[in-house]
Formats: sequence, structure tokens, C-alpha cells
Amino acid sequence: MSGRARLQDRGESAALELVYGEALLLDERRFEEWLELFDEDGLYWVPSQPGQASAHDTLSLFYEQKSLLAVRVNRLRQPSMHAQAPPVRTLHHVGAAVARPSAERGVDLEVSSSLIVCEWRGDEGRWFAGRALHRLRQGPAGLRIVMKRVDLINCDAPHRALTVPL
Amino acid sequence: MTTAAAAHEDAALVRDSAVHRRVYTDPEVFAREQERIFRRVWLYVAHESEVPRPGDFVVTRLGPDEVVLVRQPDASLALLHNRCAHRGARVVGEASGCARRFHCPYHSWTYRLDGTLLGVPLPAGYGEGFVEGAGGMARVPRVASYRGFVFASHAGQGEELPQFLGGLASALDNMVDRSPSGALTRAGGRLRMEYRGNWKLFMENATDLVHPGFVHESSVAAARESSRPGGGGGATGQTLDMLLSNGLAVPQWDDVPLHAFPNGHVYMGGFYRRGIIAPQREDAVYARYRAALAARHGEARTTEILGVDRFNNLIWPGLSVNSRFAVLRQVTPLDVDRSVITSTCFRFDGAPDEMFDLTLQFLNTASSPASMVASDDLEVFERCQRGLSDRSVEWIDMSRGMGRDRHAPRGVVEAPGTSEVAVRNQMAAWQRWMGAGP
Repeated sequence: MSGRARLQDRGESAALELVYGEALLLDERRFEEWLELFDEDGLYWVPSQPGQASAHDTLSLFYEQKSLLAVRVNRLRQPSMHAQAPPVRTLHHVGAAVARPSAERGVDLEVSSSLIVCEWRGDEGRWFAGRALHRLRQGPAGLRIVMKRVDLINCDAPHRALTVPL
Repeated sequence: MTTAAAAHEDAALVRDSAVHRRVYTDPEVFAREQERIFRRVWLYVAHESEVPRPGDFVVTRLGPDEVVLVRQPDASLALLHNRCAHRGARVVGEASGCARRFHCPYHSWTYRLDGTLLGVPLPAGYGEGFVEGAGGMARVPRVASYRGFVFASHAGQGEELPQFLGGLASALDNMVDRSPSGALTRAGGRLRMEYRGNWKLFMENATDLVHPGFVHESSVAAARESSRPGGGGGATGQTLDMLLSNGLAVPQWDDVPLHAFPNGHVYMGGFYRRGIIAPQREDAVYARYRAALAARHGEARTTEILGVDRFNNLIWPGLSVNSRFAVLRQVTPLDVDRSVITSTCFRFDGAPDEMFDLTLQFLNTASSPASMVASDDLEVFERCQRGLSDRSVEWIDMSRGMGRDRHAPRGVVEAPGTSEVAVRNQMAAWQRWMGAGP
């Protein structure tokens, strides 16, 4: 693959693979495998304001460390999760993904991409669009997510219940 | 139908122990509600800290209308309809800012900060005396601040704000009292959730203490399974504690007291007993916070302020106050079957920064559209709305706990947590305002 060759592979191709693969795991509802992509201190963050700098001065739609994401994933398997009866079907479209080495401490690579998520539930559809940023770390078991951040273009709009991660 | 006939018909939709489904589903009832309730009662508009300096403004809503709250040069507040006196165009396009005057983008009519007309281009074209008589951006007749919380009413006359708030003014008092400087600052942005259901469903659910065990079963179960050793800490700990707290058994919920007041207001006692969300924590941050409060209020008064253990304080028709977490949640009716819940929060000025983290995480956990708690509430609201559109049953029961009300002085009704006293109380207020009215 010529694109892959051009990257000279300092891990960039694996990083892109992780990001595309992550989207597929969500769409296939393989949530436990999705969770395993996060490193132990991994964070999943969807800010509530455009260009939000911090989750410690401003509210967030999602701001969850891996241990809390585990609760979310567990809940998605609970038969009494009313907001998932019927379950939502999703399609994550990842585009324009660019991987590069990261200067952040404890981060080896980062991937910036555009993300479109289409949801279908109970005869109704909706969409979300935004930029995604994946910060990744090389570990003994391969690349892991240190942070996935999704900046939605309509992050500050009123939303109906959001149950599956974007 | 005449107004009087409609009022009579609407009032008949509420009985002592049941309410008609049209109260939630009929677009004509909704339209009359907008006039008789949302264009007359006191509604929360914004907080004074959002407009600290002269010229500061914030665009918000008052019932069905968009309004602009503006700090005046003399430090008073004006609330203007966001509408040009000329052709009706929306004047202010920004959500907030600081202005010397307002310009309509259409024909450049210009208004002073108090809404009066300053000038128009081509005045001669409008005929003699026209501009002088054209009026300005219409002012909302009654605007009042209760300890920094700004409320307004479209009605020129009626009960004063403190009388309207009645026993629930104490919820706003307690939030202010919990600030070591005595000041609150609105901060953190806001979260908004939408649901396809009537606005009353949110208010009724907010003190319904039978639903958590069923509606929130999935998040309680998931939190229990994840809270075994190695379950997490920090912000994770707070969210986990909040999820687990919904797992009380029915007799425990019954021990959470409900207090219903005239005008449809109600508050429920607190039920957080664990970890960082317990009312009385023992950790370094809380010790610093407590010391700062005691420096202002003294030990005895501080104990009293921190001892107020309540969860949702509902100021009818649409505001839910949580004083301890410095949070407001307000439901805005968009249509008979469509509502938005807006959550905002405050810093206790002079408190350790970590106290604000507690506030942010409280709302992230409880009031984000992605909340593991609220998403199931929203689902149930939408299912109620769907079911209520079915005509097979006309009357909805609200009798739970009716025989257990305890009547206290000044029109207060006390009831155990599993009672539907709050629903009955809200519907009584609804009936009064929709019917002959106060």
C-alpha cells in the first residue's frame, strides 16, 4: 500500500488502523473490545462548548475515565436499560484521518479525523458531526488510547438522550 | 369558546386524585397554558453575575418570548423583548455581550440600554410625531432579583416575587449562604437535554421517589458490579456514588421527606449518604471550605447552613434548584410534546476550586444528554407522551400516598417520599392559574 509506505511507519499506520477499527467496534456493539482500546488512565471526552479548553471549568457531555467507561459499557449490556430498548443502530464514518507523532507527555502519537455518526432508533434518525482527536500511547500490548476527544459542531445544542459513545 | 368557558373547561381537567390526559397532549390546552401560566407567573430568567457591568446583556427566554436582560448605567436591570418596534425584526443576534446601545439590523433603528428609541435614519419619512410615538423595544413590566436570581413576569400586576417563592425562597437562600463570600458566579456553560414530551413530565418526575429503583435499575446494577474492589476514584468516584445512591429500597425512599407548599412548589430531602457526595464529608478540601464558611458565618450558623439536606427544590412551574451542588435545572416548553431542560451552575466564590469540580461532575453525571441516569428518564418521558396520546383511557391517576398527607401550618403538606403529593400540588397550582386564577 503506497500510503502506508509513505508514512515510513513510526507507528502512524497502526494509529490509523486503531482509529478506523475503533469506529467499527462501536458500530458492531463490541463495547468490551472497544473499552480495551483505552489505556488504564484513558479518558473519553466530549466537550459541551466549542473550543472548550478544560473539563474542570466547563461542563461536558461525556468526561469519563476508563473505570467509568466500564460502568457505561456494563450498562449497555443490562436488559433494564430502557433508553436502549430498542437499541440504537449507529454508523461511524471516519474521514480525513491524519496521524503524527505527539509532543504531549505520555503520548506517542495522535490522530486527528473528521467524524460523522449516524444514529437510527425507533423509526427516527439523527446525525452528529465533529472533529475527533485520538491521543495514543505505545505499550507492551500495542497502541492504547490515552484520550479520545470529540468536538461536535453542535456540542452546545439541546440533544435527546445519547447512549452509545460517539 | 370564550376565555371564561375555556378556563372553566381547563379547570375541570384536574380532579383531586386524577388528571385528564389532555393536560399533557392537547395543543389548545398548551396554547392557553402559555398565556395563562407562562405569560403571567414569575419565571427564572438569569443570574445577576451574568451581567455585572453597565451594558452587559444576555439573551434568554421568558415563557414563549425571547428577551434580553440588560444591566443599566444605574446598575438596575431591564428586561427587553428582543423585537424591533418598527418591523418586528429580532434586534440582538449575539447570545451575550456588552453594548452601549442596540441597533436593529434591518432599518437601523437604534435603542438605548433601557429599550427606549434613540433614533432612526430618515425620520422625516415616517411622518410627524411618528418616531416619538413609536415606542421602543418593549419592556417586560416586572423584573425582580431574589438574592441575585433574576425572575420576571409578563403580567403588570400580581403577587410580589418573595411571596410567590414562599417556602421555596429558602432553597435560593441556602445556595447563597453556602458561598464563603456570600456571592455566587454563574460559570461552566450549560447543558441542554431535549425530549419529545410535555414539560410537566420533568417536574413531576423530579420528586417521584418510586421511579429511581425501576427507571435507573440499569445504572444502579452497572455501578454495583463495577464498584467491587478496583472500581475507580476521583471524579469517577463521585459519579459512581451518585449512580449507587439511586439504588435505595422503597422503604428507604419513603424516609426521604417531601414538603409541598402553596403555588405548586415542593422540595424533597437529601438521599446522598456515601463518599464525596455525602452532606458532611471529612476530607481536606471540605475542611478548608467549612473553615472559609465559618469565617463568614461563625461555627453555629455554618453547621446550620451545611445541615440543610435537600435534593430537588422545585419552584413551579419549571425550575429545579439543588442548593448544595449549586445547580439550577429549568424546563422550557417548546410545544405540547417537546421540551428542553437547561442546566446551569455556580461557583461558590471564595470556596476551594475543587468544590466547583463537584458541581460540574454532578451535572455531567445527572443532566448531560449522555447521562447514564437522565437518558432513562428522558426515555420514560417520551414513552409517557406516546401512551398519553392513546385515547383508550382519559384519566391518569395521581393518588399514590393520598391518605398519608400531614397538614402543617401555612398551607404546607408533608408526606413520605413515595407519595405523589408533589404531582397533586403542581396540578392544583396549574388548575388555579388555568381556571379562575389568583
